[in-house]
Amino acid sequence: MNATTIRVLYIDDEENNLHAFKASFRRQYEIYTALSAVEGLKILENVPVQVIIADQKMPNTTGVEFFKSIKNTFPDPTRILLTGYTDIEALADAINHGDIYRYITKPWNDLELHNSIKNAYDAYKSKIDLRNKVAELEKTNDELNRFIYSISHELRAPLVSTMGIVNLVKMENLYHSSGEYWPLIESCSNKLDYYIQKTLQYYKNNKIVSENTSIDFNMLIVDLIELYAYSDRDLQFNVNVRQDLPFFGDAFRIEVILGNLISNAIKYQKENENDKHVNIDIEVNSTQVGISINDNGMGILNEHLEKIFQQFFKSKINHGSGLGLFIVKEALNKISGKISVSSNPTDGTTFKITIPNVNQA
Amino acid sequence: MSTKPKKVMLIDDNEVDLKINSKIITLSNLFEDIIICHSGEEGLLYLKNHVDQQELLPDFILLDIQMPEMDGFEFLEFYKRLSNDITDKCLVAILSSTLDFGDIQRAEANPQVIRLLKKPLMPAELKEILDKYI
Repeated sequence: MNATTIRVLYIDDEENNLHAFKASFRRQYEIYTALSAVEGLKILENVPVQVIIADQKMPNTTGVEFFKSIKNTFPDPTRILLTGYTDIEALADAINHGDIYRYITKPWNDLELHNSIKNAYDAYKSKIDLRNKVAELEKTNDELNRFIYSISHELRAPLVSTMGIVNLVKMENLYHSSGEYWPLIESCSNKLDYYIQKTLQYYKNNKIVSENTSIDFNMLIVDLIELYAYSDRDLQFNVNVRQDLPFFGDAFRIEVILGNLISNAIKYQKENENDKHVNIDIEVNSTQVGISINDNGMGILNEHLEKIFQQFFKSKINHGSGLGLFIVKEALNKISGKISVSSNPTDGTTFKITIPNVNQA
Repeated sequence: MSTKPKKVMLIDDNEVDLKINSKIITLSNLFEDIIICHSGEEGLLYLKNHVDQQELLPDFILLDIQMPEMDGFEFLEFYKRLSNDITDKCLVAILSSTLDFGDIQRAEANPQVIRLLKKPLMPAELKEILDKYI
């Protein structure tokens, strides 16, 4: 026998049936019986029953009516309906509104009823287990959210202070006062900050529910260029946005996608190129936006083109994090966007993207 | 020189950042005077105590978001209810290390805030805002 005894409530207006049921099953289950729905409800209020069996044909309240009445107050116990006759209407009603697990005809067969109770209990248990699992997951999720929030604040704040100190050192002309040490501190801090930012982007892309708002690509591109090209003034941007229609889309992800691509275009320039440039072409129509970002930078080797969207893929020459393009791809997947790339080390790189216009008409 | 804004108030619970940012402001010579406050409460108290002394009120506030007790957004709620004598001549920018999308959106949506600056404070960025707004 199981360590936990299954608690069964059986409601039937015929006392003989209750006795017979007890006689057959009292060794296997903890049995509670009631002669009417009212009595049954009293037991339910006091005992955490796992399986309820009710006779359909009872005066005052039928089995189905009883199940319906406890649908909200006692949703957990699994329900079995007993009927002595085949009443299609009652059955349909039971299935549609009473949340019935099994239907058994009278007179019952002991083995069949026994199996049904066992299965009903398993169903009850899976329901409770699932609920506990969900609660557990919600808690873990909550903790993860708080952890991520703390990464974006507590973990990053001291790092940003360090970056501020390096800026001060520069302003006081001490940057080269200790050999390479200050430049090294700066480059390590920047790298760590980059990883923190990318980790957050990746996580948020997985978590945040898509929210569609109106996007003005002209403004967005200007903002992004200002954000990423702040330190690189000798790079020429040629931006051409044709947007005569409103565009609706996921502003967060589109910003992540374009931000990563634009910052890559800035980062991977040829060092001794005199005419460094990035061309951004955007065309919005009623169904989608087409974006092309083209640079004359160092380009991507043909054999690497297949791999650049993989997580942690890094080429030997260019010291990227292996996260930027991976995040671009992940974010595009979330909003049904597409990306293609053509590149070679002579002419540079062109990324072409399309993102659906989620019109909210 | 007379157009140079006189006073900036720094509100930040982080001692190191207060030190760094006041040094950066001093070195970049963007303000004549710096009022240092370690909390939103301290900032509000200063503003209230000097409501009749125009010359002591700040022209510009750099406000952190993440602070214990009263955070930057709560500070702004109290700030907007202060006398116009204080708020009319004073601009508020947020200076934070936050990467939280919600924080960024809230900062940008707040009518009291002219700009969200990200730490570390860049003198050039600050100068650009001052040239534009003051």
